[in-house]
Amino acid sequence: MTIARALRAPLSALVLLGLSSAASLVVTSAAQAQAFPNKPVRLVLPYSPGGIIDYVGRTMAQALTGALGQPVVAENRPGAGGITGTDSVARSPADGYTLVLMDPAIVINPTLQPSMPYDLFKQLKTVSIISSSPEVVVVAPELPIKSISDLIAYGKANPGKLNFASAGIGTTPHLAGELFQQRTGVVATHIPYKSIGQSYPDMMSNKVQFAFSSIAGALPFTTDNRVRVIATTGKTRSPVYPDAPTVDEAGLKGFEVDLWLGIFAPAATPAEAMDKLNGAMQTVLKDPEVLKALAKVGVEPRGTTSAEGEAFLKAEFGKWKKVIEDGNIKEN
Amino acid sequence: MMDVFSNIWLGLTVAVTLKNLAYCLIGSFLGTVVGVLPGIGPVTTVAMLMPISFTLEPTSALIMLAGIYYGAQYGGSTTAILINIPGEASSVVTSLDGHQMARQGRAGPALGIAALGSFFAGTVATFVIAFGAPPLAKLALQFGPAEYFSLMLCGLVAAVVLARGSIIKAIAMVLLGLVFGLSGSDVNSGVRRFTYGFQGLADGIEFVALSMAIYGVAEVIVNLEKKVDENASTAPVGSVWPSWADIRYCIPTVLRGTALGSVLGVLPGGGALLASFSAYTLEKKVAKAPRNFGHGDIRGVAAPESANNAGAQTSFIPMLTLGIPSNPTMALMIGALMVHGITPGPRVMTDRPELFWGIVASMWIGNLLLVVLNLPMVGIWVRLLRTPYRLMFPAIVGFCCIGAYTVNANVTDIVVMAFITLFGYICLKLDCEPAPLILGFVLGPLMEENLRRGLLISRGDPMIFLNTPISLGFLIAAALLLLVVAAPAIRRKREEALVE
Repeated sequence: MTIARALRAPLSALVLLGLSSAASLVVTSAAQAQAFPNKPVRLVLPYSPGGIIDYVGRTMAQALTGALGQPVVAENRPGAGGITGTDSVARSPADGYTLVLMDPAIVINPTLQPSMPYDLFKQLKTVSIISSSPEVVVVAPELPIKSISDLIAYGKANPGKLNFASAGIGTTPHLAGELFQQRTGVVATHIPYKSIGQSYPDMMSNKVQFAFSSIAGALPFTTDNRVRVIATTGKTRSPVYPDAPTVDEAGLKGFEVDLWLGIFAPAATPAEAMDKLNGAMQTVLKDPEVLKALAKVGVEPRGTTSAEGEAFLKAEFGKWKKVIEDGNIKEN
Repeated sequence: MMDVFSNIWLGLTVAVTLKNLAYCLIGSFLGTVVGVLPGIGPVTTVAMLMPISFTLEPTSALIMLAGIYYGAQYGGSTTAILINIPGEASSVVTSLDGHQMARQGRAGPALGIAALGSFFAGTVATFVIAFGAPPLAKLALQFGPAEYFSLMLCGLVAAVVLARGSIIKAIAMVLLGLVFGLSGSDVNSGVRRFTYGFQGLADGIEFVALSMAIYGVAEVIVNLEKKVDENASTAPVGSVWPSWADIRYCIPTVLRGTALGSVLGVLPGGGALLASFSAYTLEKKVAKAPRNFGHGDIRGVAAPESANNAGAQTSFIPMLTLGIPSNPTMALMIGALMVHGITPGPRVMTDRPELFWGIVASMWIGNLLLVVLNLPMVGIWVRLLRTPYRLMFPAIVGFCCIGAYTVNANVTDIVVMAFITLFGYICLKLDCEPAPLILGFVLGPLMEENLRRGLLISRGDPMIFLNTPISLGFLIAAALLLLVVAAPAIRRKREEALVE
């Protein structure tokens, strides 16, 4: 180990991790020669604090710190719908010390954006798809809509009257609404908000009629029925809304929207590090404390292997690409 | 009525337990510290402390997180006054008169009135929450896209009418602010506007970079031009405390600021930032001798400081009673509550009264703690001003760079800050006031978003803005304000008043 390297490692760690990691530096230099991981691991969260990624990311970082024996530090790098943070990881050294936690936007962005700073399938590799979470179909309470078939019937009987809210162009709530229109022939106007939470006041006053919302976004409004839950979009019913049927059960066979979360590393990361990371994730996703924390926001643990994750990623990429192309959705 | 008092009593019994007092102290102290440091804001701090708060009881956790939030409003004003760097976005306006006061050797009174004004506003806002939460929450629900659009339009027109100096320049600055606000991804179509291929501009120009460029770095450059003697910044320190005359002079200002801040804080999207700008602008219009504003008028500190503190606190109303976050910090708190299995909404008040009223009571206690924490510090802070310019200026520029970078960990923001500094310098040389620009920059994107959302919902029918009484009211107010500017008689009077 050269002097330059010995200096650089702690220095860059200090810059990257900030003061919180200062205490771990002592450990870092002492363990430099040992096997992966021998210094703190960075988990980039490419959105602002406050969302589901932030919550799950910080929960995972804390649990992984225990499982890996090295600090795992969550770091928000928001910007450009997750592209900025993901790009920073795609360009990082492929040594397993830089990871990114992302949602389906990672497969939607390449189809939607005219130009991407990185190539998803060449520059990044799935460590594990860690969780699944359905979306919940909510409707304005004053409408006589109690089920998915009511919603379809209402849309057909009142053409031009339906609006649906989303968290912005190309977000999962938007594309889920698009997929719903493509499957049913119902026409609804897309009303984008900056986050799905912002759309609820307008839904309560029936300015917006329905939305495919994240569970975390919906919970404050569904517990006391200020908006009505008519279905969830998972394969099976959500433990958070056990009385709501899945959209599939309600008649739209095979309609499934998953707000999954995955952890990704630069593509050339050595197999040893990938295996170690994947193993640690599988372990913490069985930890009752972690499961309890995830369940509170309707997130169900998954923990695929790297290969399973890659296959799933490709399938999701293809699924949303088709929805985007069929709906002629463009950022223009 | 009796109910409210018994509820407040319940809250006090929860908040005054030794444990909760300790968390309240930790929170407000941490908040003050991150408020003083530019760049590290309450959002980052609350996010970092989230995992710790999971292990606490929900009431203690919320008391601590809330303390960080309003503590930061206090701390942010300290740097704004002393070195002209607003530690928080909501203290941008405080730096206008606050720093002028510091340069005239009145840093002590400025810091003192900021603390006292904030304490008063915090006390009133606590009672506003206690008495008014349910009806105020209903008011916030009345606001749809149309109402928001009209409110913001009214705010922009007011910014022009009430600006100091030339109206033409004020209009130009508002328009420039709107143009700056256009940069970034359009919410409705996702198209990137004026990003010139830079990934770092995809979310638009960062507010912190813009405000630090104009108020921080550009100001340093202007000062460098003037021939300054080494110790100019240590103009006689004078009294550390605001005199009784100062306080009396500020009473009506603080009252107006508190009232305005309390109302604007309730509106989602409003909060402390809008409150501080509006209070300052209003004060300039209604107060006597408005020409002193911008030259170190103590009311120019009292108005925004009381308004931002009141606004910061009443923004808990939509969060606790509706589950609607009015700003990112509140979004984080909703997350914290949900982790504890409490879903924010109208039922919190009835299902968990000890939590709701405990937090409300702790806010008042926290404000008291902040005054106790901050007032003795004033003397120490003022001594900081003895730092000679040759050390102070590089430090300011350095802190601005750190501040701009840490918001998004994005280097582009520093480059953007450098460019806007150039622009800000030109504006200062041309005697163009930056406040209307900042307001245009903040309100413009929100206005566009709501205008287009309103039109999408009405399928293109502009009548949506005239059909609801609230929206119509704001539009009429905006039209009246415009008339005021246009009418020659009034205009002459305004000019006289300003020349005075």
